[in-house]
Amino acid sequence: MILAILLALSAWLLSFVLPWWSLAIPAVVLGALLGTSGGHSFGFGALGIGAWWLIHTLYIHIANDGILTGRIADLFSLPHPSLVILITVIIGGLTGGLATLTGYLFRTTFLK
Amino acid sequence: MTKKVAQLLFTVFSTTALFWLLSTSLGPAPPLGSFLSPSSGFWTNAPVNAPPDKSISLSSDVLSDTVQVVFDDQQIPHIFAQNDRDLYFAQGYITARERLWQMEFQTHAAAGRLSEILGNRTVAFDRYQRRIGMTYAAERALEGMMENPETAQAVKAYAAGVNAWITSLDQREYPLEYKILDYGPEQWTPLKTALLLKNMTYTLAGSNQDLRMSNTRALLGDEFIKNVLNVQPALNDPVIPDSKKWGFTPLQTRQPDSTFTPSIAQDIPPFQPNPNNGSNNWAVSGSKTASGYPILANDPHLGMTLPSIWYAMQLHSPEQNVMGVSLPGAPSIIVGFNEDAAWGTTNVSADVWDWYEITFRDSTLSEYRYDGQWKSTLQRVEKIKVKGTKTIIDTVTYTHHGPVVQTSGSESMRTHIPKFHAMRWIAYEKSNELQYFLEINKANDYKEYRQALRHFESPAQNWVFADRSDIALTVAGKYPLKWKYQGRYIGDGSNPKYDWQGWIPFDQIPSVKNPDRGFVSSANQDPTGDAYPYYLDDDFAPYERGRRINERLASMDDITVKDMQRLQMDSFNYHAKTVLPKLLETLLTDTLSPDKQQAITGLANWNYYNKGNQIAPSVFDYWWDTLNNEIWGDEYQSAKVPLQRPARDQTAQLILSDSTLQWYDDINTTHKETLSDLINRSFHQAFQQLEESLGSYGDTWKWGYVNNTNIGHLGRMPGMGQPDVFTDGGAESINAVRGSHGPSWRMVVELGPEVKAYGLYPGGQSGNPGSKYYDNMIDDWAEGKLYPLWFMKQPPAERDSVRYSIVLH
Repeated sequence: MILAILLALSAWLLSFVLPWWSLAIPAVVLGALLGTSGGHSFGFGALGIGAWWLIHTLYIHIANDGILTGRIADLFSLPHPSLVILITVIIGGLTGGLATLTGYLFRTTFLK
Repeated sequence: MTKKVAQLLFTVFSTTALFWLLSTSLGPAPPLGSFLSPSSGFWTNAPVNAPPDKSISLSSDVLSDTVQVVFDDQQIPHIFAQNDRDLYFAQGYITARERLWQMEFQTHAAAGRLSEILGNRTVAFDRYQRRIGMTYAAERALEGMMENPETAQAVKAYAAGVNAWITSLDQREYPLEYKILDYGPEQWTPLKTALLLKNMTYTLAGSNQDLRMSNTRALLGDEFIKNVLNVQPALNDPVIPDSKKWGFTPLQTRQPDSTFTPSIAQDIPPFQPNPNNGSNNWAVSGSKTASGYPILANDPHLGMTLPSIWYAMQLHSPEQNVMGVSLPGAPSIIVGFNEDAAWGTTNVSADVWDWYEITFRDSTLSEYRYDGQWKSTLQRVEKIKVKGTKTIIDTVTYTHHGPVVQTSGSESMRTHIPKFHAMRWIAYEKSNELQYFLEINKANDYKEYRQALRHFESPAQNWVFADRSDIALTVAGKYPLKWKYQGRYIGDGSNPKYDWQGWIPFDQIPSVKNPDRGFVSSANQDPTGDAYPYYLDDDFAPYERGRRINERLASMDDITVKDMQRLQMDSFNYHAKTVLPKLLETLLTDTLSPDKQQAITGLANWNYYNKGNQIAPSVFDYWWDTLNNEIWGDEYQSAKVPLQRPARDQTAQLILSDSTLQWYDDINTTHKETLSDLINRSFHQAFQQLEESLGSYGDTWKWGYVNNTNIGHLGRMPGMGQPDVFTDGGAESINAVRGSHGPSWRMVVELGPEVKAYGLYPGGQSGNPGSKYYDNMIDDWAEGKLYPLWFMKQPPAERDSVRYSIVLH
């Protein structure tokens, strides 16, 4: 759990100065430092980024009365605005999970 | 160990592939990683009620003093600057803050540069823009703008303001459309302002019937032209009242001795501007108003899009105080008012675009026949950059008339055709319309209005004006001096007598001041009666709106702002009133089905108002269109070339005046059809069409649905527009809502010691699709509401109705 929280925090801070892919940096590092198994690393890596993206987008969605999520849903022919959030969160989770797993596997392969 | 390495390699590969995929643009979609990321993607474009910056520091030397910008409840900015340079700088800065993508997209489109953003799919569009010389025209306008110190300063200050905003932007702060299309803004230049203004000329004076008329004359003959296309409907009511005396000797023109017959060019794609680009304006004198001061009203009709074409604002400096709507991309207020005067516009569709048949000496197009000699052409190389592929080089040949739009060259197979066509267009003239806008913004009486108008050349506009004591209207513009009907057909490009022969002098341009009837008005109809000695065109808007306005204004007294607001919303269908009784009287009703009986009863009881919640306007609209097609379709489809159709009011006039014309017969049948046959047949066909597209007779047939008013996105992006706006109106009504065309800005101004002004447009002040101010005025616009415009004399004290204010320094 600490992995997810640390990942979310550090990736969020990095996002102020670096592009979106910068989330991979803390994910790899934290996966290497704190990952205990493949499943653990992927799961909490996904949770860290996914939860951050979920909270962030939900806040925006609610504060914006759903105006923009509705328009983006129409733009991509999605039947419901919540799918825009869902897709965002899945993509965030997948990137976070995979990057963390990569870090973990680096450690177990090269550092024991 | 090997298993672990394999596992690692596989994971590294998958992770890299995922990140690569998310960083790549697939088809039209943007790269999804950055687009979906909550910290850089579209999410950051959703306004979340964070307070805006109250104080913005710009780099040291751009402003000479502080500028205060107050945003009111309607999100209208009121800019208070200490001098005009700072004022136009701030106008550019604030406009870009709200509308940057729109400004850049419109000017890219005008310049034929869309392919840089959109790739291959817009190459044909871009090529056309290049070939009609849009950038050439804009460069000429830029020259005119830069020659005058005041307009040069304004346009440069405006550009500097736009660029100050662009420079302040981080990629994650780019407007939404940049992220969707995956590109970024470039620097703004004065040329872009010129492109924007020339694009208005294209929208409003991009009209010509030369090819259609030439084909029509070839196919149907001179008699047809004379008996059908020259028909002057009896109800014509010109802009300048017929009582006006033209006290001048007109300049002479040299007319060719014989009629030139063009070798018809069937492969020119003729541009037809949307016939719904009309507008209304009027001013009533104090003698007819309750307050004793003039009232001015204006509603320009254009294609309605989001972001809106207009941006409302107030500009205040020691030299001026002016409010109204601006065009994002150009300094000044275009339609509006100041403390002393108000002005508004409608289009004058004079014939300022002509085609010439050109005889080239050889296939190099380097020389052409003119006045018995060979004359050299000029070549202009156009480079069309295309996203994702290589740049297209296109060389356009220019004669002294203008560019040769359609040539063989690399893109056509017809290298053996020696004859090509050149176009002559008013937009190629060096002009400085911006000077008019800067001057009218400061004008405080009739004299200054007239002085400002000397700079207004194209697109020709009926500029209506009112101050505290005078009302006036000028059919303003630069008009080529022509013999009667010159430029109606394709002209002989080798004969100097077909050239434009100079210009109508400014003092002889139609205008009227304080007429006896107590009002001035225009609705794109014929500017003058037959007594006016110059030829302007033969193809103006039908009389209906103009006549209705004039009849209503003539019958009104003690006029208030409310009366003017109601008149703008008047949906009376003059066309139906004229022609429907004849249709109903001719229709055989004995054997009609109950649904058809009901529809006919509805039509018979209809008061001719195009109300959204009524069915009769829909039935009439379909019936008329079908009948019109029944009358002309057979003749007009007999040749596969573009032809000129009679105007709505001309056909109506023929139906009412003569029921035995040969044109009523369907040439595709052996039977001899009569007008009565066509009226009956078309009713049943129209009814069937309505049933097929809307189901059986009932609520789905209501005019508000049939009129189909969609306010779409400027870049046609799904989800970014507002479809299905339910409203009254129609092409034949003062409230000219027809499909996606309609009143793009409604304004009523009451002059007096304190100016009182009202207005709104179908959109919102913000250009951001994520903002509630993107489309917030549409519902009120549909209902005909007007918002009071807060015209400030000085920056207001902080109070509730100020949303926020910012200081630029």
